[in-house]
Amino acid sequence: MRLQIHLSPQWVLDTEMREYRPSEAVDFCIVGTGAGGAVLAQRLARYGFSVVCVEAGDWLDSERDMVSDEAGARSLYWNDLRITGGTEPLILGGNNSGKAVGGSTVHYAAFCPRFHPSDFRVRSLDGVADDWPISYADLAPYYEQMEREYPVAGPAYFPWGQPHGYPYAPLQMGTAGQVLVRGCVALGIPVCIGGPIAITSGSFGRRPHCIFRGFCLQGCKVGSKHSTLVSHIPDAIEHGAEIRARCMAFEIPVGRDGRVTGVRYYRTTDEGTYVEEEQRARFVVVAGYAIETPRLLLNSRSGRFPDGLANSSGLVGKRLMAQAGQVVWGRFPEMIRQYKAPPACAETEEFYETDPRNDFVRGYSIQTVSPLPIAMAHLITQETGAFGWELRHLMEEYNHYAAIGVLGELLPDERNYVDIADEVDQYGIPVAHVHFNLFENDRRLIRAAVQRAREILEAAGAEETHYVDRYAHLVGTCRMGSDPRTSVVDQYCRAWDVPNLFICDGSVLVTQGAANPALTISAIAARTADYIRNAAARREL
Amino acid sequence: MSRAGKPRRGTDAGPEHWAHRPVVAYPGFDVMRQADHWDPSTRALITRRVRDIPPIRFFTRAEAHLLTAVVDRILPQDDRSPDERIPIVPWIDARCFERITDGWRLEDLPPDEEAWRLGLRGIDQTARIRFGASFMELSEAQQDEVLRLVASGQPPGSIWQQLPARRFWIFIVLQQVCAIYYAHPTAWSEIGFGGPAYPRGYFALNRGDPEPWETREVRLDATADSP
Repeated sequence: MRLQIHLSPQWVLDTEMREYRPSEAVDFCIVGTGAGGAVLAQRLARYGFSVVCVEAGDWLDSERDMVSDEAGARSLYWNDLRITGGTEPLILGGNNSGKAVGGSTVHYAAFCPRFHPSDFRVRSLDGVADDWPISYADLAPYYEQMEREYPVAGPAYFPWGQPHGYPYAPLQMGTAGQVLVRGCVALGIPVCIGGPIAITSGSFGRRPHCIFRGFCLQGCKVGSKHSTLVSHIPDAIEHGAEIRARCMAFEIPVGRDGRVTGVRYYRTTDEGTYVEEEQRARFVVVAGYAIETPRLLLNSRSGRFPDGLANSSGLVGKRLMAQAGQVVWGRFPEMIRQYKAPPACAETEEFYETDPRNDFVRGYSIQTVSPLPIAMAHLITQETGAFGWELRHLMEEYNHYAAIGVLGELLPDERNYVDIADEVDQYGIPVAHVHFNLFENDRRLIRAAVQRAREILEAAGAEETHYVDRYAHLVGTCRMGSDPRTSVVDQYCRAWDVPNLFICDGSVLVTQGAANPALTISAIAARTADYIRNAAARREL
Repeated sequence: MSRAGKPRRGTDAGPEHWAHRPVVAYPGFDVMRQADHWDPSTRALITRRVRDIPPIRFFTRAEAHLLTAVVDRILPQDDRSPDERIPIVPWIDARCFERITDGWRLEDLPPDEEAWRLGLRGIDQTARIRFGASFMELSEAQQDEVLRLVASGQPPGSIWQQLPARRFWIFIVLQQVCAIYYAHPTAWSEIGFGGPAYPRGYFALNRGDPEPWETREVRLDATADSP
């Protein structure tokens, strides 16, 4: 199949993509092409395996399909029906899920911090949640790989967690980022400028550097901000992988031997009809993120797996985590114009770790947010319910606002979960019902984090501050572990119940830290790829 | 916590008495005049949004009139001549007609288009209980009072037993109305948002400075506190 897709103004992915017949069993069929699936596909293709990625979304041409417009970016998001509830219903769609080749990395802000060493040992250190089956040291080499491959810009010395440096220079900030820096400096809080973010501060291959247009969350037309669409997918294709777009997986069939045989999906034709197909594969990888992955597994019921595939632990869909993403904004007497420059540009991880002086365990980061006008109006109306000339006046002050955000670690809990609703989506597939609640440690952490963010804005000169509750990122729901009774996959993302099934996305995370998850998801995928290569060489796969 | 910063000139009795005109201006700033600097995809999209207003296909005539009255109170545009106003109701109608969703639905709310229909009936019912007349017949102050009851989450009326008022107000009404209004270049010019900036980019990144093609803010209220 001939691809001709702009990935940046100067770079057309103009290549012949290998195509497999669905009836032809490939080595790996991967569902999803986001931070996990695309990196795994690229690695496995390079290691010589035959790979087909089944992707629900479509190819996006940066010149044709991406726009500098908030409302116009909805085609990048996962807009199919999901039901959301609990005490703190998660806002889904554009907030945290993508439907495109590249997944939600196409429109993520691209903050790319690493997890801290403590994140992998929270049970041992803090007596909550669980320890991971792996340590920071296991992931560190893969963090380094990803920071060069995304790539990530940031300071040469990064002081938090395991101190390290970034290979590419910090990105220039706009006035809104300078507000966070000014507030932190006034309070003596260490703060990090111009990263860690996966936006090129100089040209990178055929990707030019940033033009500070500010529409990172609407898809980067410049090709400067990272997405797997511009980082790993072109290389995967060059090494023989097929990315099969507009294919919505609905079932993973199981053979009589208990092994999965491929992926069944609905392919959307050019006429808009759905055609049912099945890609046969020796191994299947589910990488659909923390809602679609458990949805697919739970919808793949069979006589052998009546509670859903790979679910003997009963944990598929359980322990859904989102991070506290409270947005805190201040009005400043001076002009800010927060729409300029990437929204992700400065942060502090000074409050990331457990502090015995707090009335909660674990911690939070504080990062820039800088909403565009529609997002700002949503924050204001969500806080106050305001309308009329009051609302118009509040929005007239848009250029005087600077919004920063909490990124707080909320703990995994089985009462937060994804299950299957009675309704179906446009394909006829039963949809996910997402249940999310806050618990006592979460509420205390949020209270402290919001207060800290307010102090920072006030120290920077805010006349008044406001906040609304928001939750960002989606992980958990198929956790890894060292015991098949209490986890879904092992440390290499292999399902305990099904020897030729892997799950490789944010759903395998045991805890979520106070760091944006994309880099960690990709690092885990790269580690899984190395395991697969080595196990295959030993004939142990 | 104050919600709107300082009180406005000539206002001493709260939001309902605020002047029906902007207090901030960016004189001469019209985002659409920058359209030649935008990429073709973005220019085509915004131009279509401004020019191609969809017909009413989902709501009945009576529902559309009621919705227009409600939307006029949510984002009043009485400072603009009718042909300068940002169309909102046609886009809500288009969403409902085409069953466009944003990828999530709160578990205690019906699908958007049903919620709109039910909510409009609820607003009218609350108006009749509170003031003994339909919403359309009320004064602007009375209409605002009805909407404040809905926003509070405890409006009188049996319909609200089926539809959580606060969530309907925040996550459907205000969310969609604001998304439509602030997607329009007229609103961008109003609040001094520079808008699309590809391939040109933004250069003036410090001190909240305007680009050469943007203009400075002028305060029209007494609290001229902008440098």
